[in-house]
Amino acid sequence: MKPETILGSFRTAFGGKILEEKTIERQVGNIDPKPVYDLWIVVGRETFREAVEHLCAEFNPHLSVISGEDKADSLVLNYHFSSGWGERYGEVTFTIRTTVPKNDFHIPTITDLIPGAQTSEREKIEFFGLEVDGIPDARNLFLPEDMTIHPWRKDQDEQNKPFVKRLVKWEERNE
Amino acid sequence: MNNRSINLEIGGGGEVCYSVPIGPTHPALKEPIRFTFDLSGEQIVGVDIKPGFAHRGIEYMGMRRNLIQTLYLSERICGICSISHPLAFTQAVENAAGIEVPPRAQYIRTIIGELERIHSHLLWAGVGAHELGFDTLLHLVWNVREKCMDLLEQLTGNRVDYAIPIFGGVRRDIPAEKAPLAYEALDYYKGLLQSMIDAFLHDKSVEMRTRRVGVMTYDQAVELCSVGPTTRASGVKKDVRVDMPYLAYADMDLHAITPEDFGTEPNGDVYDNIIVRLLEVAQSIEIIEFCLENLPEGELSSIPKVPALLAALKNAEGEGIGRHEAPRGEVFHYVKLVAGQDEMDVWKVRAPTYNNLMPWVPKFLGDEVADIPIIAASIDPCMCCMDRVHLVDETGNESVRAKEELIALSRAKTRRVCG
Repeated sequence: MKPETILGSFRTAFGGKILEEKTIERQVGNIDPKPVYDLWIVVGRETFREAVEHLCAEFNPHLSVISGEDKADSLVLNYHFSSGWGERYGEVTFTIRTTVPKNDFHIPTITDLIPGAQTSEREKIEFFGLEVDGIPDARNLFLPEDMTIHPWRKDQDEQNKPFVKRLVKWEERNE
Repeated sequence: MNNRSINLEIGGGGEVCYSVPIGPTHPALKEPIRFTFDLSGEQIVGVDIKPGFAHRGIEYMGMRRNLIQTLYLSERICGICSISHPLAFTQAVENAAGIEVPPRAQYIRTIIGELERIHSHLLWAGVGAHELGFDTLLHLVWNVREKCMDLLEQLTGNRVDYAIPIFGGVRRDIPAEKAPLAYEALDYYKGLLQSMIDAFLHDKSVEMRTRRVGVMTYDQAVELCSVGPTTRASGVKKDVRVDMPYLAYADMDLHAITPEDFGTEPNGDVYDNIIVRLLEVAQSIEIIEFCLENLPEGELSSIPKVPALLAALKNAEGEGIGRHEAPRGEVFHYVKLVAGQDEMDVWKVRAPTYNNLMPWVPKFLGDEVADIPIIAASIDPCMCCMDRVHLVDETGNESVRAKEELIALSRAKTRRVCG
């Protein structure tokens, strides 16, 4: 997969809706160095779902994971895909980044396009308190079912304090 | 996650008469996870999976320490993949901070990474034999695994948690006088390989217990984003070392191992998982030999002084992705660094079992209760261990089954199918 193939296709399909794009080239190998590529695009939340649909229709992506970064008033989500596997030097990583504001805190699901995304989406729900529209199963996955706080939120430290205190107390119960 | 949420139903399944929670403590491996099986007689018609009993918040901790402290923390994410996480993590940070790795360091990282693959696959093979009730084979395999552990100890000083990679290089050399030890161990495994293949793949009882058990099709493997030997057993040629090479893997000719290398069509069953893992041991031996023969001379690290390294990392700004093909599949680390800050701004760790949770669903469906241990073990989960099983009937009555009982069931099936 050439980086131009995938980026060019996105430019044609979305044009000005791509807010930012970035290609990082790295040389690997010592005997016969060759380039590998990390690609990034940034889209608005309203374009996000179409971008994933386009990727699934054209490039047979593998979803590695979704990562999130809390920015006080918004959450930045990185959907880390890779495409072109099965061929030597054929794969590029392709990350779609979008920002979700905290006052309208939801994003459409992609589990209907990639069923394997469910694990990662559920993790974002419980750790950030994000709402994922249309996800078939929104229960807590890694955290206890009755856990009410979102550990990766950086704006909820005050809410989290009593919880941390309770944990410390519980751990010291035998001392 | 359960079968309903990914629209998987099994045709011809009867009415659900039992719902059987298995775990969090577990008969397959030594880490906790809970399965709730819907049964129709002996047949599994539904499954719900609940991981997270060992969630320790390592990413949260890592975002509150400096990067070198976090490197040692990343080594302790997993006791078996104890170099896979540091390899992915160092690559992510090096990509983010623009740090070069000298060729010799790349080769040393690759050698230790492949030795880890050999011991991990042998560990898995032993566990698999145990689940089938073939304990003689378990002890034989774990006995030969010791040779690899001894070699790792001689090369790095440790049996696990080798503390080899550091940002920009490695912490320890493999001097020329250690090479004969490595060659001796590799020759030992080369001599054993055929007997391992005979013991597992040409054994009638192993074949009867694993063929057409725990099946995942090619399409399911792709759409459920599975990784590693689990996905290659279904014929998906996906291997980070091949698709997007890094370290010394970029210098050699590699291909993704699938059951086709054994001359059979991929079915995605447990037997194919055994094929892939055993053939990957042979591939790892070749890779290590290549690395030892072509080990470049030169520096071990581009920034050998730790204070200088810490300062460079503190001033670095950027984001990076690090990927490594661990024994169980792709390990993925995402790192974001902010200048002037000791700790990372974002750290996301994705272990291979995370992506291999969903593939359990199609693997379990349609099989029998006695197959649960071997299917649970077939993805080589980096979590799980079952000590007791609760059986709940439709009126809510519970009974507890000991781990021994479930393994006894599995063994009884081996005896039954072998007449």
